[in-house]
Amino acid sequence: MQIIIIGGGKLGISLAQHLVDEGHNVTMIDRSEAVVQKTMDTMDAMFIHGSGVSADTLKEADVQHTDIVIAVTMSDEVNMLACLTAKKLGAQYTIARIRDPEYLNTLSFLQKELSIDYAINPERATAREISRMLRFPFAGSIETFARGRVEMVDFRAAEGDPVVGLPMKEMYRVNKQLPQVLFCAVERGGEIIIPKGDFVIKPGDRVHVVSDVETITRFFSALGKGMSTIRSVMVMGGSRIAFYLVSMLVRMKMKVSVIEVKKDKARRLADSLPGATIIEGDGTDQELLQSEGLADTHAFITLSDRDEENLMAGFYAAQQGVKKVIVKSSRDTYSGIMHNMGLDSIISTKSVATNDILRVVRSRSSRANAAVQRMYRLMDGQAEALEFIAQAGDKYIHVPLKNLQIIPDALIAVIVREGQVKVPFGNDTIEVGDYVVVISRKAGLSSLGQVFR
Amino acid sequence: MNYKLVFRLLGRLLLTEAALMLPSLGVSLIYGQGDTLAFLCAIAITAVVGALLSFLLKPEREDLTARDGMAVAGLSWVILSFFGALPFVLSGAIPHMVDAYFEAVSGFTTTGSTILTEIEHLPKGVLFWRSFTHWIGGMGVLVFTLAVLPRLSGRTSHLARAESPGPTFSKLLPKMSDTAKMLYMLYFALTAIEAVCLLLAGMNLYDALIHALSTAGTGGFSNYNASVGAFHSPLIEWIIGIFMMLFGINFAIYFHMLRREKEPILQNEELWTYLAIVAGATLLITLNILPRYDGFFEALRNAFFQVTSIVSTTGFGSADFNVWPLFSKTLLLLLLCLGACAGSTAGGFKLSRVLLLGKSAYRDLEHTIQPRKVAVVRLEGKAVQESTLAQVGVYLSLWVVLAVLGTLLLSLGQTDFVTAFTAVLTTLSNVGPGLNGVGPTENFAFFSPAAKLLLSFMMLAGRLEIYPILLLFAPHVWRKN
Repeated sequence: MQIIIIGGGKLGISLAQHLVDEGHNVTMIDRSEAVVQKTMDTMDAMFIHGSGVSADTLKEADVQHTDIVIAVTMSDEVNMLACLTAKKLGAQYTIARIRDPEYLNTLSFLQKELSIDYAINPERATAREISRMLRFPFAGSIETFARGRVEMVDFRAAEGDPVVGLPMKEMYRVNKQLPQVLFCAVERGGEIIIPKGDFVIKPGDRVHVVSDVETITRFFSALGKGMSTIRSVMVMGGSRIAFYLVSMLVRMKMKVSVIEVKKDKARRLADSLPGATIIEGDGTDQELLQSEGLADTHAFITLSDRDEENLMAGFYAAQQGVKKVIVKSSRDTYSGIMHNMGLDSIISTKSVATNDILRVVRSRSSRANAAVQRMYRLMDGQAEALEFIAQAGDKYIHVPLKNLQIIPDALIAVIVREGQVKVPFGNDTIEVGDYVVVISRKAGLSSLGQVFR
Repeated sequence: MNYKLVFRLLGRLLLTEAALMLPSLGVSLIYGQGDTLAFLCAIAITAVVGALLSFLLKPEREDLTARDGMAVAGLSWVILSFFGALPFVLSGAIPHMVDAYFEAVSGFTTTGSTILTEIEHLPKGVLFWRSFTHWIGGMGVLVFTLAVLPRLSGRTSHLARAESPGPTFSKLLPKMSDTAKMLYMLYFALTAIEAVCLLLAGMNLYDALIHALSTAGTGGFSNYNASVGAFHSPLIEWIIGIFMMLFGINFAIYFHMLRREKEPILQNEELWTYLAIVAGATLLITLNILPRYDGFFEALRNAFFQVTSIVSTTGFGSADFNVWPLFSKTLLLLLLCLGACAGSTAGGFKLSRVLLLGKSAYRDLEHTIQPRKVAVVRLEGKAVQESTLAQVGVYLSLWVVLAVLGTLLLSLGQTDFVTAFTAVLTTLSNVGPGLNGVGPTENFAFFSPAAKLLLSFMMLAGRLEIYPILLLFAPHVWRKN
């Protein structure tokens, strides 16, 4: 597809790289010559130096024949205007990043009036994801499928867990009382493995399991990692994500305190978030953290703009015995280091937004309904978890799975039919209208048909 | 340097070259003049070396750095010319390796200087290969490889940039492979149109192909001693003259024509300057040589042909301009250094660089009068980066240094300054003929082997725009990383 990306910031570059890798024709527009120069050397895309709101620049990027325009500059206003201009010049579909809380309430009106087909707010989406993580503190991350009926949860296997040390095929024979979930992916030593029958889980592996919500819950209580609820949260850094997150947590009746170093920012937060305690101070100051009761908080979340500060504060909190530590990091290279040092819950606004936009692009590039419904990337894109809806007329409908050839390194994780969640076996079939969740190490699947040979 | 990756890429290029020798093998089979075996051997040797390099080497890292990209560009042309010389040596057409190497470099760099004294007796397959090297070298063998091979490596724009002529490199389409395909499609179409025109003008198929291939690459190898003059046909001279001019135009212009986009063409200052220079020079030379020819139109035809031949850096001959008045010769010498548009198959200094130099000179003059004025140099309606302007200045100095040093070294074995000077200029500009001893009716056979290697170096430096070739002499590039 022909795609124009306006704005070559962190998100823009990451998106462009992924889209180029998926084989799309990408043209990037940025106002900074330096950005254009730097990325031109490393990426097989076209670069135009200019402003995304200028009709001339957009025409130079051949906007008339463009399928998707993605506006991700620093400024919400530029993004909105760029989408409007692009649409009027003939672009098929527009995506704008709009993240200022001021626009939150008028968003749907703006979207309609400015013909923005899809608006993303990465900060808000990140906040939502963090709040979900807080509900299941034992898990590194939780992703949902089939309108929330299915969950994919990852946890770190520890010495003594009943799942450790047994081959997959033996596991349920030995542990008869263990609820049946599907082990769909294991991260070990920086690599993703899709486990087969003779695979053995070792302590320290990050294991992704998938099943319906109830089974997942029973599975974790059987593992002894049951639900311990989080009632008090400390947030370091008063960024936009913090604003969105704290307003969600306050609504969930949690006790929240936010540490922000800048006085005016702290004041503004205190004004807009009356339900939370705002503390003016440096979040990396250990004495301050102690005096504000770090030892008694259930969760510590670092959301400052500097990765290094987040990392150090996160380590400190984990060392002090805080049950759940979530660290924001915008650099992919850090996530490996953090996993190795025991911090499991890492969140990156960039990858939340990249995943979201890639899903939209993929669903545009395949047939109307066969599209990807949901998509998550594991381990920085080494594997993907995708949700599809089975379509009438496709060749795999009503054929027992054992008779279908599945592409290598892919796995049909669950099938959801009329609300019933099922881990499929050889005799099961896919029927029209089923939700199907697929785990694949091959990137770029855009329809269910591609899973079968 | 990532040796394994660089040499694997070179291996792929050699495989491509072996495949590109196949048409010449076909021609040698048709005419059966005893050069078939030479082509079979050359193809076998090139393919085996290429296959060994590309299948045995397994690089640990796949990403091509800017430095390695430059090294690939420089090395590939040196090595391709070596293997391209094999058919000449093996067939006995050019027995000495240095001579054959000179001829192959002259072919790939689209120079068209030859060391052959008797062209017409050579086997037709060899002559076809000679012109075919022009065609490959014109658009660039790396660009060709990018077009046909699926993704050599992630970062391939270094390669294309090192090989495409001009101060800046811009893609026509977002994907490098699509851009390369589009360029070769336009190139192929224009070449085919010229071949058909020449056929209609009365050439036989073989001659038409030879001359179309040589014009397209702006090379200048002919299969006749008297070059295009051998046909004694005004119509053929007009056709080749016009096509030489067309191949000196940036291929982006044809791309915009195909897309029916008027504005980028109208805004292209380089194009209009180029056409104005061709028209102006033709007119001045016509008036200057009028007394020597009977009638205005004959003088016009000869002037036009020589002007387009020199300015597009092709180097076909239809008249001996060595006997023309000094004014015409000097004007042609200027055009020889100038070259045609960036992004074409032509060599030389490139018009867009001259435009940029002129504009920044004007701005500096203005600056002495109004020191506080902030002025931006524009080309094609767009502001040009200061760093680009600086690069053009540096390029000019490198060019001059190479020309001066080359003349100095070449004068060791020569008696005539004009011969030595124009031999260096014409090879550095990839034109072909010079003046006096290397004039349009002469050849390069009399130079010593050392001088031939020096001129080969000049041709490669000119074609790759100096940097990739010069970098091969930097120890830093060869350091293992």
